[in-house]
Amino acid sequence: MISFTSFPQPQDAYKRPEIEEDEDMEVDEDFMENGTLKLAWPGESLTSSHAYMRGHGTYVDNEEVIASVAGIVERVNKLITVRPVRTRYNPEVGDLVIGRITEVQARRWKVEANSRQDAVLMLSSVNLPGGVQRRKLESDELQMRTFFEEGDLLVAEVQAFFGDGTMSLHTRSLSYGKLRNGQLVTVPPNLIRRLKSHFISLPCGVDLILGLNGYIWISKHVKESDREGEEGFDAEGVYSNKNDAIDDSTRTAISQVANIISVLASHAVPLNDTVLLEAYEWSVEQEGGPKALLQDDVGDALVVTVASRS
Amino acid sequence: MSSRIEILNAGGYRSDGRRQYELRTIAIDFSPQGSNPDGSATISHGLTQVSVSVYGPREAKMRSQTFHDRANINIELSIAPFSAGERRRRGKGDKRILELTQTLKSTFEPVIQTSLYPRAQIDIYVQVLQQDGGLLQACINATTLALVNAGIPMLDLVCAVTGGVHSTSALLDLTQLEENDLPNVTIAVMPRSGKIALVSMETRLHVDRFEEIFRLAGEAGTVIHSEMKRAVKEKTAKLVDAMQLGKGSAAPNAENDY
Amino acid sequence: MALTSTSVSKAEKSYIQAGILANPPSRSDGRSLHDFRAIALETGVAPLANGSARLNIGRNPHDGTGGTEVLAAVKLEVENVEEGTGGVDGGRIICNVSCDVKDSSPSAYPNLSSGALDDLQHDYTDVINQTLSHPSLHPSNLGILPRKKSWLLSLDIVILADAGNVYDALFMAARAALWDTKVPRTRSIEYKAKKSVTTAKNASGGAGDMDVDEDTSSGFDTRKIAGAIDFELPDYWDEGEVLEGRDRWPVCVSMNMVLPTHFLDASPQEEASTSIRVLLMFSFLSPNQTTLQGMRMSGPGEIKLSGLKELIEEGEKYAKEIYSALTSKLKDEDIRRNQKARDRFVNRI
Repeated sequence: MISFTSFPQPQDAYKRPEIEEDEDMEVDEDFMENGTLKLAWPGESLTSSHAYMRGHGTYVDNEEVIASVAGIVERVNKLITVRPVRTRYNPEVGDLVIGRITEVQARRWKVEANSRQDAVLMLSSVNLPGGVQRRKLESDELQMRTFFEEGDLLVAEVQAFFGDGTMSLHTRSLSYGKLRNGQLVTVPPNLIRRLKSHFISLPCGVDLILGLNGYIWISKHVKESDREGEEGFDAEGVYSNKNDAIDDSTRTAISQVANIISVLASHAVPLNDTVLLEAYEWSVEQEGGPKALLQDDVGDALVVTVASRS
Repeated sequence: MSSRIEILNAGGYRSDGRRQYELRTIAIDFSPQGSNPDGSATISHGLTQVSVSVYGPREAKMRSQTFHDRANINIELSIAPFSAGERRRRGKGDKRILELTQTLKSTFEPVIQTSLYPRAQIDIYVQVLQQDGGLLQACINATTLALVNAGIPMLDLVCAVTGGVHSTSALLDLTQLEENDLPNVTIAVMPRSGKIALVSMETRLHVDRFEEIFRLAGEAGTVIHSEMKRAVKEKTAKLVDAMQLGKGSAAPNAENDY
Repeated sequence: MALTSTSVSKAEKSYIQAGILANPPSRSDGRSLHDFRAIALETGVAPLANGSARLNIGRNPHDGTGGTEVLAAVKLEVENVEEGTGGVDGGRIICNVSCDVKDSSPSAYPNLSSGALDDLQHDYTDVINQTLSHPSLHPSNLGILPRKKSWLLSLDIVILADAGNVYDALFMAARAALWDTKVPRTRSIEYKAKKSVTTAKNASGGAGDMDVDEDTSSGFDTRKIAGAIDFELPDYWDEGEVLEGRDRWPVCVSMNMVLPTHFLDASPQEEASTSIRVLLMFSFLSPNQTTLQGMRMSGPGEIKLSGLKELIEEGEKYAKEIYSALTSKLKDEDIRRNQKARDRFVNRI
């Protein structure tokens, strides 16, 4: 099946905006309806640097605190920051992230995780076959690709930062490690907020891992007990590249969830378990399966539904 | 070419019906260009259209290009062969392209807060889609907007405009036709501090005229600034609005990244 | 697949493959095997070209992100065809593909070095050029003066974003830009020829088909505007005549193989998960006459000879669908732009 559409026509390409409304109105416009959200953009003077301290997204020039990014102005006591509306992932220790191996180096992997630099996963920060606590051997260094190779996806936790700001990851937990049985969706990182748990199980037999870096893994549900394996740690399973058997309805559900996430993300709707669950429940009542969500009207209806229930 | 068309007629109108200081219609579009960019923007000044996508800050492609204390800014510019009246394919090593790239780089390097991202790289890809004068001006303005859209910290919005002189009358925002005929200069300003980020002149201009052009271009820069600011503001407000969905209207504290 | 910059893990790859082989098959975004993503198309996007089109496969309708996007434009230039000048009597066609905005989605993927990028551009250019400049497709109205001057048609395609299925996009955009192309009317000065019956029906592309609708002798002029046009529009609206045989321009269908089955319009992840891809270029000369204008296989896999015939038959079916959907969209675009031009004209008064 093939169908053609048109590009949207630029809305104000032919109308020249009036400029006068600008300067005087500005103060009012900056504040959103509830009066708490102030917006700023690079070069916008925020306040005097005598009374306040500059935080992220600002700089000081000529005794003024000035915004350096476009976003929301936030004030915590004397600290002024501007939180950009769009940016790459800014890691913090303890964050759960999903990344992809880009390079295998000596005793370490490089991991792309939507941040300003690739993250590092040290060989010493992963669990190895033969027991969680065993020492690393030279043979492990020679067969690093049997654990993770280029292109592999993994879920990990931000462990620490190196001197130059590069984050180092670890996968020393049974819930971390290589990702299988599903597909990846990416969204802007600021749509994923810190939650109690970033592992979500939807009742349709689908597990979700919401990486704080905006990478989301959607996969077949794996029972808690299966994940741990018999002897507590199952190396075969943890570093396997083979998927389990996945039935058709699970596949459909995975696609459905993936499409829901892309639609919500394209409307800049922040994602969490309640939103996703509601969206899923609404969408399975619609006809047409996962594919239908790709149409703009169905997608729009989904967003409206989610908005109305929140 | 110059003989046939009157640059400024007796009534004070230019060949496209504008007055001396009138700018062409500006259209700004933030819809993503390229493959999943971190930010992008397309700007049209009349028939000149440039689209920029920004990637980064991210891992540098080549380690030799990294700096231990700041991000490397990599700019690549390409001009669509059909963008001008005459078809012309410009390769990577084309002199005009190298020149434009270098100019953009030296304009933006001091404006972007590169020191926040040591060892990282910021890639700026500039695609010229249509040319009708004011190419450098459009490249600068589009780059500014794309950088803002990508959330990359900058000291100010850099706003550029072209000015020229026809006998003794100054003209702003020149079309290709005017540019071919008149001595002209491109000026980029940072309106908050009033600093000049760039002056670029490839023709000769009488020193007496220069001052006037310079002043006018500075003023025009603030007009362009207000249009750019308006666009940024609209886009920011829209995103902020959308993000309030699904989380009540509480102030967004303690969220992911700042 | 050799020419892809997307990296996927083994687990992702086998997940995608298993889905395609499942019964019923299922793809990551819920499409069926032969579904295309939505294709957005607009013609006349480059004001300074003689014909142009912008095409996007798979753009997210909600926020305009994503999709494979290409821009195609045709420029006509007069060139001498006398010996040693490089021109060809009856005109010639040169195609060029560039991918300047080279980024593959997230930087996780191995970035293409500039060498690899050049290879990629060469490959695209090669396929497009070989197919479209073939004599069987040559429009008969690219000649100006026999043995003296003719049109050089340059088709430039810029790939703005690659989200999979670039070849199909290139050919669709090329077809759209060529469809949109208007050849300026010309008149001959040296030949006081009788009014020719028609040039548009002349399919030979040979030396005899210069335009001779006017027989004045005021000097060679490529911008001459013919008198007899729609009375509603003033002369300068007329940009010339369309390329002869614009129905013939081929479409391409990329068949991505996960043996024993195949699927269409692959995403980058899907492309990275297939071992072989067959490109088939079909031209539909008349309702019952289909020609295979080109064919290419890429990737490390192999296909049995016996399977190939069936594949081509299937391919023809898909190509026909693409062809007719595209043609009707192009006609819609013609109507839309005429309407727009008319509206503007009315508003002027």
